[in-house]
Amino acid sequence: MNTPALERFLAKIYVDPVARARFLAAPRAEAARAGLSEGQCVALENIDQLGLEMAARSFGHKRASKRPPSISIGSRWWRACKTLRFKVFAVFRKDTSTKL
Amino acid sequence: MFLPPALAALQFLAALQMVVGEAVAEAEEAEVAGAVAAVAAAEVRMNIQDRVGMGWRSELAGGILSNLDRIDVLEVIAEDYCDGSARLRALQSLARQVPVVIHGVSLGMASTVAIDHKRLGKMARLVDRIQPESWSEHLAFVRAGDIDIGHLAAPPRTSSTIEGTAVNLAAARAMVGSMPLMENIATLINPPASDRDEPTWLHETLASANASMLLDLHNLYANSINFGLDPNVFLARLPAERIHAVHISGGQWICNGTSKNSRILDDHFHDPPDPVYDLLADLAALCPNPLTVILERDGDYPPIDHLLTQLDRARRALASGRAAAGKPVPLHFGLAETVPVQKAQARRLS
Repeated sequence: MNTPALERFLAKIYVDPVARARFLAAPRAEAARAGLSEGQCVALENIDQLGLEMAARSFGHKRASKRPPSISIGSRWWRACKTLRFKVFAVFRKDTSTKL
Repeated sequence: MFLPPALAALQFLAALQMVVGEAVAEAEEAEVAGAVAAVAAAEVRMNIQDRVGMGWRSELAGGILSNLDRIDVLEVIAEDYCDGSARLRALQSLARQVPVVIHGVSLGMASTVAIDHKRLGKMARLVDRIQPESWSEHLAFVRAGDIDIGHLAAPPRTSSTIEGTAVNLAAARAMVGSMPLMENIATLINPPASDRDEPTWLHETLASANASMLLDLHNLYANSINFGLDPNVFLARLPAERIHAVHISGGQWICNGTSKNSRILDDHFHDPPDPVYDLLADLAALCPNPLTVILERDGDYPPIDHLLTQLDRARRALASGRAAAGKPVPLHFGLAETVPVQKAQARRLS
């Protein structure tokens, strides 16, 4: 029984809506195409479809909540300038203290 | 030998008295032995110190820090501290004030795929720096190949995943230096291609890896309701002697179209429902180990007083369970509720 392949197949249909729709249209054929065993193909043909939809939605919410907030290009430039300014000042202070 | 009837009657009565006397003595001995055993068990329970705490969340930091006298232990999420030395120093400071346990959410132990050693290394360094009382992870897979599911997914319940989990846990113990407590997860989908039910799979997985359990009672409750199991039977089928820690939390019903298509989602945004406290009392009656109970809350944060009330409710559930099993209430409760300030001071001094 090739369980790593089954885990990969499950992960794919949990996160990829296109793969999930393709699977739900022809569960057994899609499972066989992924190289799963006959027993696994039969099991996936009888998958808990309500649970699959709910779980996929829940995983999607979790992934979305973990994404860092997107930062605009302007904000990135502003941050880079601030960092550069601090570095320049640091070098300047170092030089001054050396002279003193 | 012939005896007059009166003498024979007397002899019979004497023999009867002797037999009855022996039976009474045996019964008394058994009663005394039973009482001695009960007292011994009670003494064992008297030494049990159940503790109740909550998950550390930055949104609750102020409320937690100002009420450490009512919180026995804090649980921190490992992944929040694996990067960033400033946060790590803050955690070290916290761990000096209150007992801390570490909870991982991304290792994906219950898988036939080998655990990611880079992530495990980060956990090992964190455990080494913080020296928590214990660390824990989930009986779940979270990725497969290059696909990151983003959350805890239930693996197919087969002998392959039992063996894979044991291999991954052995690797974790070797690298971190201690075995994690393993938590049962909530799932909205009955994992396909399973050949056994959840209680059986949990039992066999823990036995195969010789691991201890962090029992999430809301996960147990939600899975039972969602997939037609009796939560009490589910609890009774778990190896109580392996359970050392407990999570309690709440969730909500979600539906897909009609109410018939409803399931409980374990979202940690709600108070634990009444059945979870009932299960906690039942567990306290079954489990021989001291329990560390953590209240989990990940959003819709209520005022801290509300959460502290839930901790007290958990303490009462534990006490009622221990008492129902014929054992005295663990000593810790009395201290926690009657002399909180002294207890907190003692903890800080120690």
